[in-house]
Amino acid sequence: MNPAAERPTEFDEQLQSLLGRCAAADADALQRLYALVSPILFACLTRILRRRALAEEALQDVFISIWQQAGQFTAIRGRPMAWMMSIARYRAIDLLRRERYAPTLVAELPERRSIDADSESGGGSAAWLPSSELMERCLALLSEMQARCLEMAFVDGSSHEDIARLIGSPLGTVKSWIRRGLRSLRQCLES
Amino acid sequence: MTPDNLEIVDRLASEYVLGTLRGLARRRFERWRTSTPLVDQRCRFWEERLMRLAKDLTPVQPPAHVWPAIQRRLKLTTPRHALRRMRSFALAASVLLVVGLAGLLYWRSHQTIHATFVSTISAKSGEHVWELEVFGNLDRLVAHAARLPARPAGRDYELWALPKGGAPVSLGVLPSEGTSSRILTAIQKRALAISSQVAVSIEPLGGSPTGQPTGDIVFVAPLRTAS
Repeated sequence: MNPAAERPTEFDEQLQSLLGRCAAADADALQRLYALVSPILFACLTRILRRRALAEEALQDVFISIWQQAGQFTAIRGRPMAWMMSIARYRAIDLLRRERYAPTLVAELPERRSIDADSESGGGSAAWLPSSELMERCLALLSEMQARCLEMAFVDGSSHEDIARLIGSPLGTVKSWIRRGLRSLRQCLES
Repeated sequence: MTPDNLEIVDRLASEYVLGTLRGLARRRFERWRTSTPLVDQRCRFWEERLMRLAKDLTPVQPPAHVWPAIQRRLKLTTPRHALRRMRSFALAASVLLVVGLAGLLYWRSHQTIHATFVSTISAKSGEHVWELEVFGNLDRLVAHAARLPARPAGRDYELWALPKGGAPVSLGVLPSEGTSSRILTAIQKRALAISSQVAVSIEPLGGSPTGQPTGDIVFVAPLRTAS
């Protein structure tokens, strides 16, 4: 694995510092953190939950979790953005499971890359994402359908069944694309 | 763990992080993650790698009312609000300061600070493991480690308030030695106010990653009003 790709970026270090201050109950740090990452986490929640009001509530929950668990975030937990995004995604998936939202609401989902009237973040696409040449190379090895299914699952929170219905392919085929896609990534990342 | 098992762990971790592991299998895997460092490590590996699948995600500015709602839920006060409030009360404060200082000096010379709630967490043998004290208006929690049983490698003990009719609320990781002191959040204070018991669970280092107990509950102790 390319060690340079794993080195914390300036953005990572900024987030780590803010999380450290949150752990010390510094409310200013949480506000600064919110300003930096809430547009990314809100986009993530909106894509999965498909309901703006529900995503707003989930965003509150996510920042409350971040505030409460900031003390638990240590270097061993890796990149801060991955940690926070995981809190958001797992919260959204949990809400989907509990509320049984989603499948019938797909029509409400904003198109990928579309920007709502009040959605200007100024952040620039993926400016928040640490670069990883290796992961980019590995993703490029996937077939078009493998990549599409993985992205629908990760970004939209779609289940196997959702994906099969949305792209009009048999469930077994979708499961196979995802399984093989993940296996290909694993082999590539560890080679 | 055999290579075959490692492959299964890795496959499940990737599906869990991707989000396609659902239902009971997902909940079982979450419990496994919190009790098994290797599983947690593989999840973190995939969380950091699969994040790149979101590279086309366009940031969306949340509505302006969300941040104040978070502040309200956490009972946070911004410096600007604090400053405004300080100005409002400056005059009264200056008058009260003289009286207050005199009172404080008198009080300090006659009183010691008492806890509001206390709890003693004991082993089955009766030996005290931790002494807990909650001070003020449930503002501060102090935990004194006494005689700890052997701690499982790579694990922490985490303290939980058990509010009546609600889910456990984390009060943080307990010290393995010495004394720890922490300021409680509004959620923790609310939970403590309606709890008659506290519990201790075994969690991954740093505490439960889910915000709920994930490992075994090893101690439950009553929370008593300090006499």
